[in-house]
Amino acid sequence: MRNHRTLAVLGIALSATLLLAACTSADGAADDGSVEITMIGADDAEVFAPLIEAFEEANPGITVDYQNVPFDQYNNVIQQRIGGKDAGVDVYLADAGAIGSLATRGFLTDLSEFQGQVKESSLAAAVEGNTFDGKLWALPMWTSLQYLYYNKTILDAAGIEHPSIDSAERTTWEELTENAKAAQASGAEWGLLFDQTDRYYQLQALPESLGGGSAATGDDLLTADVTNDGWVDAMTWYGALFEDGVAPRGVETDQMVQLFAAGKSAYFVGGPWSLVPILEADEKVDYGVAPNPMFDGGTPAMPTGSWNIAVSPATDAAEAAKAFAAFASLDPAGNALSAQEVIIPPTNVDSFAEYIEKMDGQDSPNTDGMGGLTLSELEEAAVNRPNTPGFTQLQDVLGRAFSDIRNGNDVEQTLQTAEDELQGLWDRL
Amino acid sequence: MTLIGSNPRVAAAEQAPARAATRRRSPGQWRAAALFLLPALVLLVALRLLPTAEAVAQSFQRGTQSFTGGRFAGLENYTLLFTDPTFQNVLWVTAVFLVIIVPLQIACALFLAVLLVERFPGVGIVRTLVFIPVAAPAAVATVIWGVAYQPQGPINAVLAAVGLPEQPFLTSADQALLCIIVLLSWIGVGYWTLFLIAGLQDIPRELYEAAALDGAGWWRTLWSVTLPNLRRPLAFVVVANTVSSVLVFVPIQILTQGGPAGSTRLIMYDLYNSSFVLGDLNIGQTEVVILLVFLIAITAVQFRMLSKEK
Repeated sequence: MRNHRTLAVLGIALSATLLLAACTSADGAADDGSVEITMIGADDAEVFAPLIEAFEEANPGITVDYQNVPFDQYNNVIQQRIGGKDAGVDVYLADAGAIGSLATRGFLTDLSEFQGQVKESSLAAAVEGNTFDGKLWALPMWTSLQYLYYNKTILDAAGIEHPSIDSAERTTWEELTENAKAAQASGAEWGLLFDQTDRYYQLQALPESLGGGSAATGDDLLTADVTNDGWVDAMTWYGALFEDGVAPRGVETDQMVQLFAAGKSAYFVGGPWSLVPILEADEKVDYGVAPNPMFDGGTPAMPTGSWNIAVSPATDAAEAAKAFAAFASLDPAGNALSAQEVIIPPTNVDSFAEYIEKMDGQDSPNTDGMGGLTLSELEEAAVNRPNTPGFTQLQDVLGRAFSDIRNGNDVEQTLQTAEDELQGLWDRL
Repeated sequence: MTLIGSNPRVAAAEQAPARAATRRRSPGQWRAAALFLLPALVLLVALRLLPTAEAVAQSFQRGTQSFTGGRFAGLENYTLLFTDPTFQNVLWVTAVFLVIIVPLQIACALFLAVLLVERFPGVGIVRTLVFIPVAAPAAVATVIWGVAYQPQGPINAVLAAVGLPEQPFLTSADQALLCIIVLLSWIGVGYWTLFLIAGLQDIPRELYEAAALDGAGWWRTLWSVTLPNLRRPLAFVVVANTVSSVLVFVPIQILTQGGPAGSTRLIMYDLYNSSFVLGDLNIGQTEVVILLVFLIAITAVQFRMLSKEK
């Protein structure tokens, strides 16, 4: 009797499992034709809520579940979930520079069917960043740039002139360092902070300004070069910032913007998104914006590129996933909604024009002229990350090298070790 | 006169039917035993043996994506790792870490156990203070210590207040590993102390009384009575501590990511980085096999040394 009861329970459980399995078909659609797709990204869920809401309204049969993964774990999660062919992820955000690396590993669905449309709808540099081996692997969503933020109160107290907002009159890193030290001498806790300490995204621009290149050379961008004069000089300057106490050691990179927002630093180099914590501070600092500096005798170089929207090859709802990606990129309204909750330029040309118009009014008068500065900087100084198949390795190895230099290690030796290690990893590819 | 029961041959003859009965268990009993063992066996195979076999197989392959698709590469991964200066540094750092942390934690745990097994006023409070860190999750403890170790953090504030020079802690290649050792010892010593206190309480009091009658001092008693009788719990603590130290990952991931200059790049972090950051599963699995062989060898030696009667 007991055995019969056990069998009955097992039978019910099995039937329920089969019933649930039957509710979803191979294309991810439930019996009623509705489809749920999952998107992962490194921003808070609130950022994509307006985009998802508008998409679901326009596509009643599709719902989108957004899952946030912290930025520091993002690449690892992509490696594990997309690499593990996890059908639970349909759409994900792919960082600029990583497209070649992700495509080589089979982590991206070929989206070349959108090539004609995207060329008309999006900024050319953003389209180029998503193209590898002649194919389109992701759709551009956002781009980025860096500004020099300065604390007017601190500079005024130290008698230091405000930097010009004109890209043609950008200040040099050398001059900025001297001014930062002067500001500290007159009471500022810190002189100059970077928004993304130790991250390739922000620091690539330093050696680029001195002609050192991106670190990835050769026809296939798999030859490491970080020991040339440009890299050594740029990294020597970077290490000295921390050695001389102009910037703090041992502070998490996420805290840097908070230090500036709290009025503890004369200068801060950060993205448009840095406006959010600055504006949300209990006591807002009186600040201004200026172009990203360059080295004396060098060329203007400013980080750019941002998240693109990609479709996982393991998705069981490819059509719905592509429809969502297209809405977030090709549709001007969708693309604008993707950037509504975070201050970052969208890549759709119409949404971008609208964003530029709004920039001046973000926090007038402090942000007056920011729209024009954004345009001129993206045209004159933007430097893309190299679309190398070995981008993952490049980010990892150079991230550690930047950290070691910041902590006082010998610059030339650190760069030589990094170059050897990176080349070893790239040779394996 | 010899008692029947004390004759070994007679005793063996009496035990024989009992053993035969044990051997003649009914098939039903075997089936029941097998059923009870089945869940554990399934889990053992699925979670231990298969992943181990997979790691060994993939360590001889290249190009594995998401656990499939690799091609045979012979000893290439092993050759690459053992000739790679970065991995050589990983092995060196891991060895230095073990040589310092295991004796340090065992000595501290033993000292505290000997101290806390005594009855003195306030012993309960002292025991609680020693054991509290065990209850703190490793990630939480790591974050708290990370704040304390900041160059502008509270430890340096105290040092400056008493006129001592401020220290770089985690930002220095010379100090970072020691900082991690202190952090882990703060968490771990209380835990290992628990086992040693249990071992100490099992030692018969008569032995101490006999030692006292023989005029043995504190050191002599410790050396000749306490330590020999503590051999088994001590063996467990040494082996378990070594294994857990080799597997340290959380503080490295949260605080240093192996830096500065690779000074805290322990093998667990390195294999995680190879597998999940760089996506080279074959190199990661090769490191798993190397780690496994090392652990088997070192625990075998430790067990052998500590289980000898003399």
